[in-house]
Amino acid sequence: MSEGPLVVVDHLSRHFTLTESRPGFWGSVTGLFSRATSVRRAVDDISFSLEAGEFVGYVGENGAGKSTTIKMLTGILVPTSGTVRVGGLVPWESRRENSRQIGVVFGQRSQLWWDLPVRESFDLLRSIFRVPEGRFRENLAELDDALELSPLLATPVRKLSLGQRMRCDLAAAFLHDPKILFLDEPTIGLDLIAKDHVRSFLKRINQTRRTTIVLTTHDMDDIEALCERIVILDEGKIVYDGATESLKRRYVREKGVVVEFHGDPGVVTLPDLPTVRVEGEGAKRRFSVPVDSVGVATVIAAVAARFAVKDISIHEPKVGEVVKRIYDDPASLTRPEPGP
Amino acid sequence: MRDLPIYLTMMLAAIRAKMEYRVTFLFLFFALVTFYLGQLGTVLVVIDRFGSINGWTLGEMAFLYGLMVFSQSITTFFFASLVNFEGLIMQGGFDRYLLRPLDPLPQLIASQFEVSSIAHLVIGVSALVYGAAGTDIAWSAGKVAFFFVVVAGAVMIQGGVRLGVSAICFWTMRNRSLVHILVFSSKEFILYPVSIFNYWIQVFLTLVFPLAFVNFYPSHVFLNRDASNLLFSPLIQYATPVAGVVFFSLAYLLWRAGINHYQSTGS
Ligand SMILES: Nc1ncnc2c1ncn2[C@@H]1O[C@H](COP(=O)(O)OP(=O)(O)OP(=O)(O)O)[C@@H](O)[C@H]1O
Ligand SMILES: [Mg+2]
Repeated sequence: MSEGPLVVVDHLSRHFTLTESRPGFWGSVTGLFSRATSVRRAVDDISFSLEAGEFVGYVGENGAGKSTTIKMLTGILVPTSGTVRVGGLVPWESRRENSRQIGVVFGQRSQLWWDLPVRESFDLLRSIFRVPEGRFRENLAELDDALELSPLLATPVRKLSLGQRMRCDLAAAFLHDPKILFLDEPTIGLDLIAKDHVRSFLKRINQTRRTTIVLTTHDMDDIEALCERIVILDEGKIVYDGATESLKRRYVREKGVVVEFHGDPGVVTLPDLPTVRVEGEGAKRRFSVPVDSVGVATVIAAVAARFAVKDISIHEPKVGEVVKRIYDDPASLTRPEPGP
Repeated sequence: MRDLPIYLTMMLAAIRAKMEYRVTFLFLFFALVTFYLGQLGTVLVVIDRFGSINGWTLGEMAFLYGLMVFSQSITTFFFASLVNFEGLIMQGGFDRYLLRPLDPLPQLIASQFEVSSIAHLVIGVSALVYGAAGTDIAWSAGKVAFFFVVVAGAVMIQGGVRLGVSAICFWTMRNRSLVHILVFSSKEFILYPVSIFNYWIQVFLTLVFPLAFVNFYPSHVFLNRDASNLLFSPLIQYATPVAGVVFFSLAYLLWRAGINHYQSTGS
């Protein structure tokens, strides 16, 4: 197989023609020939590539085009224009070969057999993907360990709760050792503990097996916890593609230092550091530190030198806040950065 | 063909899934048998009253009906999942068939088991046996072999109708009314000998919507009926397998084109 990126997306677009469907027999007949239409550019000329082993967050507001992109990468949809290569294959031209190298979870929709016990779904997938018996057992043991599947295996899928079903769907996507996992909102509707399980499972397989993972989610804590790289989509276009850290650095000019004093120190000022704002009153105060000009350590040292400090915590900005600002004002990304 | 065992496993799973609803299963079975016995009964009563329809005796009519229902039972066995294909498309359920290392069509075939196919089988076989007994067909080995080839052709024609009608869904999303008219109501055309219709309807049922090949033409072979007045050529009585292959291939081409038009859903 050729070296180079595992996934290459090149000027990819997918438009949907929205039509008014008319009811009835004549509706479906005349509908074949003439329709009132409008075009929606769900994915609009995007390009990016993924290296093997990457863990990428693919985020954007509702309707941004995330699921549509994933459907093209997995071969479900044929694009309007542009190309995709996944492990050297064009997904929608080589659906069968492509399906062997990818695992897919759509949080909204189960890939399992609704009326059959989970165990039987897994067995069916084993035959469908021709997973060798030994490998299958190893994988199932590991998955069971990570996702606590044992108690669920005998239950028909339709009787599982959302979170239970999601764990089974995740496992199902992984039984055939895919090189790449596409996860479209796999944590939707999960409680905190279940989310935690899923996150640590994903982190583990990404690290131990070097499985490449593309994760779509509206939960920015997922991204924060897992994704070193983030791609932000807005109305079908990529508005940011880069390290999660540098996105934060770019947006976040301030960190918070929250200090708890022994007793109320009264008026708190730092005469040497005039750019640091102080907020709050009583024994607990918050210092907003402009990170471009002042180091957090300097602030802590200055505070500790003048007051009796009981406890200090540093508040890093969250990806979620940053992404929210981008959603609110996508143009802010392309505006030139203000000088220090 | 290497994948055949996998499809069989999937079909068995589909049957097990259906058995989860045992009561519905039995209820449906008896309801269908009753319905078709009623349909058959109506035909027989009509003939009993008039002696024959367009020169077809009671036994011959039963055979004609039996051939239709028997091939329909096999069609239903294979293509049950295409009856509500609209639902699968509208809910994006078709996605999953594109995410497995198998061809979508045989997966669909193996994905659903339809109780009515057994009900049809019971009715079809009964009608065929009744018809064969009521006429004096000499069942040579050749005829028996040809019977199975004809059934295969008839299944391809009826399956082709379902496949073509389903393929339309990829463009229009909806096809329910087409299913009702082309898959179900159209059966009324071949309940009776096609020769009762005017010339153009016969041409339509031969060249455009070739249901006449399902039972009318091949019955001439089995019943030793005079084929000299048939449309185009007396040889048409042997043409069901060819018609089946041609018609199904056309439907399959439409289907292949349709898959690349699949839109999935927005959620
Ligand atoms: N099958 C379809 N037919 C018509 N329009 C569609 C279809 N699928 C998606 N769209 C439209 O394309 C746009 C992108 O949809 P997509 O599902 O990719 O968004 P998304 O980013 O996954 O959103 P969400 O976060 O809500 O899941 C939306 O405007 C949607 O209405
Ligand atoms: Mg989506």
